[in-house]
Amino acid sequence: MRKKKAPIKLIAVVALVSFLLLFTYSSLNLKNIDYGYEEQKLLEKERILKEEIDILNARRSRLLDLERVEKIAQKKLGYVYPEKKQIIKVIGD
Amino acid sequence: MKINRGERRRALIVFGFFLVWVLLTVGALVKTQVFNYSKYLSKIKNQSSRIFSLHPKRGTIYDANGDILAISISSKSAFLTNKNKNQSMKIYKSVIGKIYLNTREKLKIRKRIYAGKNFIWIKRKLTENDYNALSSIKRKGDISKLEFIDEYKRIYPQKKIASHVLGGVGVDEQGLSGIEFSLGSVIKGKGGKVDVQLDARNQIFKLEYLEKKIPGKNLYLTLDSTIQYFVEKRLEETIKKYKAKGGAVIVMDSKKGSILAMASFPNYDPARIKYISPGILKNNAISFLYYPGSTFKVILATSAIENKACGTGQIFNCYNGVYQINDLKIYDVHSYDKLSFKDVIIYSSNIGAAKIGEKLGEKKYYRDIKKFGFGKTMNLRLPAKERGILNPVEKWSNSSVAYLAHGYEIFVTPLQMIRAFNVIASGGFLVEPRILESINGVRFKNMGKKRIISRSTAKKIANIMSDVVKVGTGKKAAVEDIRIAGKTGTAKKYRKGKFRKLYVSSFGGFFPAEDPEITMFVVINEPVGAYYGGDVAAPLFREISKRLIINLNISSKEEKLRAVRL
Repeated sequence: MRKKKAPIKLIAVVALVSFLLLFTYSSLNLKNIDYGYEEQKLLEKERILKEEIDILNARRSRLLDLERVEKIAQKKLGYVYPEKKQIIKVIGD
Repeated sequence: MKINRGERRRALIVFGFFLVWVLLTVGALVKTQVFNYSKYLSKIKNQSSRIFSLHPKRGTIYDANGDILAISISSKSAFLTNKNKNQSMKIYKSVIGKIYLNTREKLKIRKRIYAGKNFIWIKRKLTENDYNALSSIKRKGDISKLEFIDEYKRIYPQKKIASHVLGGVGVDEQGLSGIEFSLGSVIKGKGGKVDVQLDARNQIFKLEYLEKKIPGKNLYLTLDSTIQYFVEKRLEETIKKYKAKGGAVIVMDSKKGSILAMASFPNYDPARIKYISPGILKNNAISFLYYPGSTFKVILATSAIENKACGTGQIFNCYNGVYQINDLKIYDVHSYDKLSFKDVIIYSSNIGAAKIGEKLGEKKYYRDIKKFGFGKTMNLRLPAKERGILNPVEKWSNSSVAYLAHGYEIFVTPLQMIRAFNVIASGGFLVEPRILESINGVRFKNMGKKRIISRSTAKKIANIMSDVVKVGTGKKAAVEDIRIAGKTGTAKKYRKGKFRKLYVSSFGGFFPAEDPEITMFVVINEPVGAYYGGDVAAPLFREISKRLIINLNISSKEEKLRAVRL
């Protein structure tokens, strides 16, 4: 009777270990895939942010277009270019 | 608790089944993951993997202050992928109501649909509104064959500013003109390839770069867009005032050779380059060939002094305004009996210049003209630079020296003239003009400067040029408080075998004359009404100088002494 018990226990242990190994392997793989998704999401976010930076830079440059600035300064705000006589040069030491 | 035999048997059976299931599962997994690994890998790659080409982002172009002159931003382009003509026409009809397409574009799409093409561009580089309109109809209707692709769109935020320097790009971002063309290989970058792995829901879970894309390098120019702006504005005003055909102005840092502004008119919006005619695309500052006229007397005077052919006080007979040398009859605008060497330049006597030329001799004059760099291509990073035309001395006729003495029988560009004038401004050095400051922040070494005349000759000529503005033909270039040195030029155009009443007016100079910081050259092509360089180009020089003096805080020695000290 004692001789019969040993292989069953052994088989049970082997099966359990195999199952645990398989489970660990699968969950690691799944985690890896999750990281893949997360990485792609972050990369996409980075790409979108970089594009937004470019768009904002272009928009900023458009708003600073000298013709536009001059028009606003002269027509809306009534600014005029200074004459040389109106400029006092200050030299700081 | 005691387990009886029956229960143990049942437990063993359950356990047995479980064991078999585990073993089968393990076996199946081993078969799939180990033995059939490559088979399933290729299967899954076929199902979930897509290879995409990556477009490189074209580099940004900045001015000397870091302001953007050209930038590429991401945009969507819409296309159809369908061979079925009826379906394609249905999609096309639903699209044209939503976005603007001109007749040519519509015709092109219809032609491709009728030809049964599988790939048809609807519109490239869509605006945000166009993209939103198309994506909404794609969402609402079942228009699965309408697709979008990411592309880059070149933006020139400052519109027409420095258009000739920048050039422009085509629809595929290929450089067509200007620096976009000449430095295309640097600024373009290199495309890449990526293997995108998608899951069952078409979500990306892995990207594998097969070829990494290399973005284009950023260019930093020496141009100052503020200076460029008002130079262009003043040039346009002058051209309109005199109904001229065109013109150019170049502003350069006398010491470093950095070009601060390079304006050419007519100008254009680089974003619309594909609609611009080649004549307008021509950069007059580097490609306009003309007789320099009296501005070339500066080269003559320099050569004469440097070779000790005459002294500044030497007197020349000016034959009261008419003088014949061989087949050439030379006239002066105002008749003079006798003029000193200095006055020949100050009052721009053609006869006096011809006499100086005779004294100097053709070989020495030719050698010095070459030393100033005429007749040679310049090393500026812009396309379509003209090298000018200078006949070799062996081909000169008996009258060639007299012609060349007052700026005929030679073709030059404004860029060549400013470099030559800068020799006087820099105290005798030939400084190579440069327009590119750095690539991706890596600065360029200066092209170097080469002494071609002595400091004392340069000083003597600068003093004469200063008198040109003070009392001579260039009085209209004078600016209060700052001493300007310059020379006027008016040249007739030669067409169909004779000189016509069509003129090129020019003025070149530098300031402050005692320690020059800025060298500038102005050329106006075919002004109507007034045409003398002193009347057309010199006032433009003055207007630009006035603004430059304020913007760059340029002071004369006296002003520096008068300045308030804190």
